[in-house]
Amino acid sequence: MKKLTMAAIVSLGLMTGSALAASAWTGGDDLPTNPLACDGTPSPAAAKPYDGGSPTNPPDRKGKKITVVDVPKLIGIGYFNATSKGIQDAAAELGNVDAKTDGPTKANIDEQITFLDNYITSGVDGILFAANDPVAIAPVLKKALEKGINVVGYDANSIPEARQWFVNQAEFNGIAKALVDSMAAEVGDEGGVAIVTSTFTTPNQARWIAEMAAYAEKCHPKMKWLETVEAQEDNNLSFNQATTLINKYGDDLKGIFGMTSVATPASAEAVTQAGKCGKIAVVGLATPNAMKPYVEKDCVKSVVLWNPVDLGYAAMQVLRAVADGTLQPGATSVKAGKLGDLQVINGSEILLGSPYVFTKENIAGFDF
Amino acid sequence: MTASRLLRHETILGVLTVIALIVLASLSDKFFTAENLLNQGRLMSEVGLVALAMTFVIVTGGIDLSVGSILGLTAILLGVFWKNLGLPLPAAMVLALACGTFAGWVNGLIITRFRVPPLIATLATLALYRGLAEGISEARSVRGYPEWFFFFGQGEVLGVPFQLWVLGLATIVAAVILGLTPFGRATYAIGANETAARFSGIRVDAVKLWIYTGAGFCSALAAVIFVSRVTTTRSDMGTGLELDVITGVVLGGTSIFGGRGTIIGTVLGLILIQALKNGLALSGVKGDGTIVVIGLVLIGAILAGALFDRNRGG
Repeated sequence: MKKLTMAAIVSLGLMTGSALAASAWTGGDDLPTNPLACDGTPSPAAAKPYDGGSPTNPPDRKGKKITVVDVPKLIGIGYFNATSKGIQDAAAELGNVDAKTDGPTKANIDEQITFLDNYITSGVDGILFAANDPVAIAPVLKKALEKGINVVGYDANSIPEARQWFVNQAEFNGIAKALVDSMAAEVGDEGGVAIVTSTFTTPNQARWIAEMAAYAEKCHPKMKWLETVEAQEDNNLSFNQATTLINKYGDDLKGIFGMTSVATPASAEAVTQAGKCGKIAVVGLATPNAMKPYVEKDCVKSVVLWNPVDLGYAAMQVLRAVADGTLQPGATSVKAGKLGDLQVINGSEILLGSPYVFTKENIAGFDF
Repeated sequence: MTASRLLRHETILGVLTVIALIVLASLSDKFFTAENLLNQGRLMSEVGLVALAMTFVIVTGGIDLSVGSILGLTAILLGVFWKNLGLPLPAAMVLALACGTFAGWVNGLIITRFRVPPLIATLATLALYRGLAEGISEARSVRGYPEWFFFFGQGEVLGVPFQLWVLGLATIVAAVILGLTPFGRATYAIGANETAARFSGIRVDAVKLWIYTGAGFCSALAAVIFVSRVTTTRSDMGTGLELDVITGVVLGGTSIFGGRGTIIGTVLGLILIQALKNGLALSGVKGDGTIVVIGLVLIGAILAGALFDRNRGG
C-alpha cells in the first residue's frame, strides 16, 4: 500500500512537477508554462470546451443600437488610447454602436471596479474591459452578466466565467519567444539581462515573464537573468528603476526587457542618458511612436507588440457579434470586420494574431 | 462658542450635500434609487472606516499616511496566514487584524516615544509596511477563499450591505467617543494646544498611542472587508487610500492644524465625495471630469469655511 502511494505520488510529481514549478524569474506567475519550439514550429492547438460565462436573460440586441463602455486598466496612456481608437473605428464602421472609453487615471483595481459598477447601474448594453487583476474584477463582471450585459475582455483577462469572451492579443508563449529571441540576437546567448515590469502580480506581465523564463531555459539556457524590478506603469519610476539597474550591475548588464509600454521607452531613455547605447540592449513591448526616437538613433533595435488599434477593433467586433448572437459558445472562429476571420482558442478566447516586431526598417510606417 | 462655530461648517456642508444629491438625482434617474445608494455605501465603507479613525488623528494635529499600506499589509497577512501557514480562516482574520492594529501601535510609539513628527513617521511606515507586504507576499496574490468569507464584503443583512452596518456602528462609536467622552475632549485639547494639554494633566502620549493604534485597527478591518469584496489579495491593495481618506476628513471640516473637527463632518464629507463620483459618472461625466469637480468642491468648501471663520473672528 505504501509503495503504491509512493508510486502514485512520484508519477503525479513527474506529470506536474516541471509545469507547476514557480517561475525561475521573479515577477512570473506559477501557472504552467508552454514554451514554443526554438525554431518556431507551431504546436497543435488543443480543443477545449467553452468556459466563459453567459449573461442572464439578455434582451434581444440583434441589429439594435447598443451602448458600450470600454473600461481599460487606465486612461491617458498611448497604448489604451490606441485600443480606444480601434474601438471607435469599429463602432463607426458598424454604425449601430455608441461606444465610449472611461476609466481610472491609475492602474488601480479598486477604482476600476467602481467605474464598472457605476456603468452597470447606468444601464449599458455591453462592457469591454482590460483587467487590472483577473480575480478582483470578477465579482463586478459577474454582476454585469447577471444584469444581462454582454461582457468581453481584451488585453488583460479575468477568470473565464466572469466574462463571455476575451480577445487575446497574442499568446503569451509567442510574445515570450519574440522577446527572448530578439534579446539573444542582440546580446548573444550568454548576456546578463534584467526586467522592468509593472508589478509582480499584473496578470499579463507575470504570464509573459514566466513564459520567457521557460523559453529562455529551453532555447537560450546560458542567458543570465539578474533581476526583475517593479515600476508600476509610471514613467519616472520606470526611468529610475532602469537607471538603478544600470548602476547596480555595471558591465554585467547586457540587456533590459521592458514589459510595459511605459517601461520600455523609459528604459531606453535611461540607457541613452547613461551613455550605454549599443552596450546595453533594450528589448520590450511598446508603442512605435514612443520608441521611434530610440530606434532611429539605433539605441533600440527591436520593439515587440501587436497592433493595439486592431486589438480594440477586434474587441468591439466580438462584442457586437455576441450581442447579435452570431458568436455562440462552441464557435471556432468569428468574423471581425476588416481583420477577417479570427480563431477561437482556449475555449473562450479569440486570438488576434502573431506578435509583431518593429525595427528601424518598418517602424516609420506606424503611427500610434 | 466653539460648538456653534463647528456647527457652521457642518451646516454648510450638509446643505451642499443635499444640493448635490438633488442636482445629481435630476441628472440621472438611476442615481437616487435604493439599490444604487446601498451599493455606493458598500463602495465607500473601506474609506469610511479609515476616515473615522483619521478624524481623531487629524484632530490631534497629526496625520497618518500609512493607512493604505497597513491595509495592504493586513490583506497580505490574511492571505499568508490562511494559505501558506494553513491556519483556519477565522483565526487568520483575527491574527491579521491584530497585526494591522500592531502596525498602528508602532506608528504611535514612534511618534510619542521618539518625538518624530507624524508626517515623517508615517511617511516612513508607509514605505515600510508596503515593502513588507510586497516582500511577505513574494508578489503573488492569494486567491480561492471559501464562499462564506465573501459575506463580509458582498453579503447583506436585512437588505443592507454588511459593511454598511459595520460602518454605521463604527460611526456611532466614534461620534460618541469624540463628542461625549473625556477621551474625546483630550483629543481636542491635544490638537488645540499640546503643551497646555500636557500641563493640564492630560496623558497626551497615551491618548495619541491609542489613536494611532485605532487607525491601525480600522485600516486592518477595512482590509478584511476589501479582500472579501474583491475575493483576492494583492500587495498593492490600498495604494493611495490615505489621500481619499484625508480628502474626506478635511472636506468634513476637520482642521489640518488640529483642535477642530467632528465625526458628522467627516461622514458628510465622505457622502458628498462618493455622491459626486457616482452621480457624475451616472450622468455621463467621464472620470477625469469628476476629479476636477471634486477638486473644485474641496476648494470651495474650505474657502467657505474659512470665510465664515474670518467673519466671526474679525
